[in-house]
Amino acid sequence: MTALSSLSTRAIATAIGDAATRWCDADFPPRVRVTEDIAERTGYSVPAVEFALDALFGELRTAALLETIGRELGDPAALDAPTPRILPLGRIAILSSRTTIGVAIPAMCFALCAKNDVLVKDREDRLVAAFAETLGEELEAFDRALHVENWDARHKGTRLQDARLIVVYGNDETIANVTSEHAGSARTIGFGSRTSIGFLGAAAQSEPAARAVALAGAARDASLYEGDGCMSLHALFFERSSAGDPNALAAEFAAAMERAAIEFPVGTRSTSQRAAMLQERNLAAFRAAAGNGAAFCDEHLSFLVLLAPPTQEPPKFLPRTVVLLPVGSLEEIAAYVERHALPVECLGVTGTPRSYAELASRIGAARIAPLGEMQRPPLGAHHGGRPRIAEYVRFLDVDGEHL
Amino acid sequence: MSREREAEHLDTRILATIERWHRHGDSLSDAEFDDLAIAIFDYQLRYAPAYAAYCAGYGISPSALPTTWRAIPPLPARAFKEAAIAAFPSECAELLFESSGTTLGAPSRHFLENRRLYDASLLAGFERAMLGDGARLRYLLLVPNPAQRPHSSLGYMMGRVAAQFGDGETGWYLNEDRFLLDAFTADIDDACERAQPVCIATTAFSLLHLLEAFEERGKTLALPAGSRMMETGGFKGRERSVAREELYARAMHAFGISAESILAEYGMSELCSQYYDLPGSERRVADAIHRVKIAPPWLRTRVLDERERDCAPGTIGALAHIDLANRSSCLAVLTEDLGASLDEGIVLLGRESGAALRGCSLDAEDLRRA
Repeated sequence: MTALSSLSTRAIATAIGDAATRWCDADFPPRVRVTEDIAERTGYSVPAVEFALDALFGELRTAALLETIGRELGDPAALDAPTPRILPLGRIAILSSRTTIGVAIPAMCFALCAKNDVLVKDREDRLVAAFAETLGEELEAFDRALHVENWDARHKGTRLQDARLIVVYGNDETIANVTSEHAGSARTIGFGSRTSIGFLGAAAQSEPAARAVALAGAARDASLYEGDGCMSLHALFFERSSAGDPNALAAEFAAAMERAAIEFPVGTRSTSQRAAMLQERNLAAFRAAAGNGAAFCDEHLSFLVLLAPPTQEPPKFLPRTVVLLPVGSLEEIAAYVERHALPVECLGVTGTPRSYAELASRIGAARIAPLGEMQRPPLGAHHGGRPRIAEYVRFLDVDGEHL
Repeated sequence: MSREREAEHLDTRILATIERWHRHGDSLSDAEFDDLAIAIFDYQLRYAPAYAAYCAGYGISPSALPTTWRAIPPLPARAFKEAAIAAFPSECAELLFESSGTTLGAPSRHFLENRRLYDASLLAGFERAMLGDGARLRYLLLVPNPAQRPHSSLGYMMGRVAAQFGDGETGWYLNEDRFLLDAFTADIDDACERAQPVCIATTAFSLLHLLEAFEERGKTLALPAGSRMMETGGFKGRERSVAREELYARAMHAFGISAESILAEYGMSELCSQYYDLPGSERRVADAIHRVKIAPPWLRTRVLDERERDCAPGTIGALAHIDLANRSSCLAVLTEDLGASLDEGIVLLGRESGAALRGCSLDAEDLRRA
């Protein structure tokens, strides 16, 4: 028995939705208290943090939770007494991310909707703990079902021992280590480092208004969270066309990047990042002097757009640094991704997303989104291409009953 | 005046500068450094087309020269991987140094018109930094052997040093990537028996391997008085590394030498001159203790922020070196190294890590806490 097993999934989802609604209010005191702490921990500007919190809690609606559950499990009531056909796993541990604000929260909410007991390793800003407190105010049983801690090296050991499942947001090394050293008999689900790319077709380039919207969206996708996080745009491919001027396109994109810095001011950068951006800019200037590509930036080097760097080089993965690569076909995008073994989370496009399904499938992307919406995944989007709730349950089949 | 005559004239001036410091300790005033740097830069703008095209982006040309060395645009070191950066016909190069890096599948290539400047610079720098007592040492070299790696600047450098300052019994202990432990052990034991002081020149990575081998065998030595070690290279690109303090402590234990007997050299294949640790100098920068490194007077360094402005002393930034001995290539090189300037010299804080993919990432520190 878990702490939530006697409650209906709908009641749990409702409580979560109600708590999230309170967190959508930018003046909600707990949110106000953690916002500065998140900005300090991550180095992102406060507007970027506010955007992240709006996106996160704005999606956590009761209806969206139930719809996602229904899509993956059939009827949400299948989890409910007296004759559940779907059961919680038991205890689930979630190790949250350094770079993505609140990435553990949707996973935590779905694990709770599946009536599991949940342990979350929080960050120093205590965002998850603060939201858990609001959850407890909405539904007292959450106080027993949910434990959020920010433990450190002095207290390692037993926390993960009873978990049936450990969800890790981390790089490949981290995930491998948790699996080998800490998981014991528990199953591990790892959400490793991934990146996102975009494509601007010739049609979108040819119409000025559509092009401006697409580039503004791409700039936002590249600027938010300083390029951290799996949804951040690092490479924008554009279709070569006889009418288009790559330099003009890059200049227009650079202007959009500059405008994006007004809405989302530049965050804190390490010396190493700043030095690397300088090196990349100057190398691009050297190449440009030889007639190859170009670099676009402002005088503060708050962003960097690198036009047509050698395709032998992977994206830079530096703050607000985007490589802009001309392609003659979608095949070239796939070849680039394969060449650099890029783990792609999101493919940003213009026009009809479905028409890029074949490319997305080939490059292993988990999501296709319009440019400008890459950083706002819907609640039901399958992060990493994985189910939202189905990982957190087990099925009970009874012969003779409807399966 | 022909290019060759101009080059000869400049080389004579640079060699005289090196000689004056080497023999008499004469430094260069700011005005003297500016004067020679701008003359070399002017020459390079006219004869190094790739560098000149880059400088044109700064609005600089032979008809619009800067007045100070600090305004000379530093060329990114990676440009040496992509083009021949030479102020002479590169096919006539007397020396070619290549880095071991493989970005873009191509090593960095540094063409030098002649070996005079390189030799003079490296020998003067080494002797002043490492051989202040005038010792004639036996050189035990754990660096690339020029016979196998003719384009290794480190191998070339130590070959020249050993030939100039050694006792004639120089040993090379890297066979391609294989470490010749038995030969090294036999030779160092022999040196100990004969009370012949040695200089072990090694990369940090080779030193770590050597120490592990000694530790595995339980072997320690007490090197003859006057012995010393030159460590270089750090652990760039290697999977395994240890902190410098730990590495040196283990080396002191293994060889029975003092901390002052171990000096780090800092150079790169794109430069003709080197930095060395200033003995006994340790300064706290960025919450860690670092040894101060000093350069000969013809090598100066700027520490740059992302806007390519000079950082205040003690502030960390990207290192850009201006090496007057680089007459035949490019005198100003923007490195991927981070450091800070101090009154006495610079401190080196490592290399740009290069950006790693950062998805929903939890770092290794967090992992250990899990």
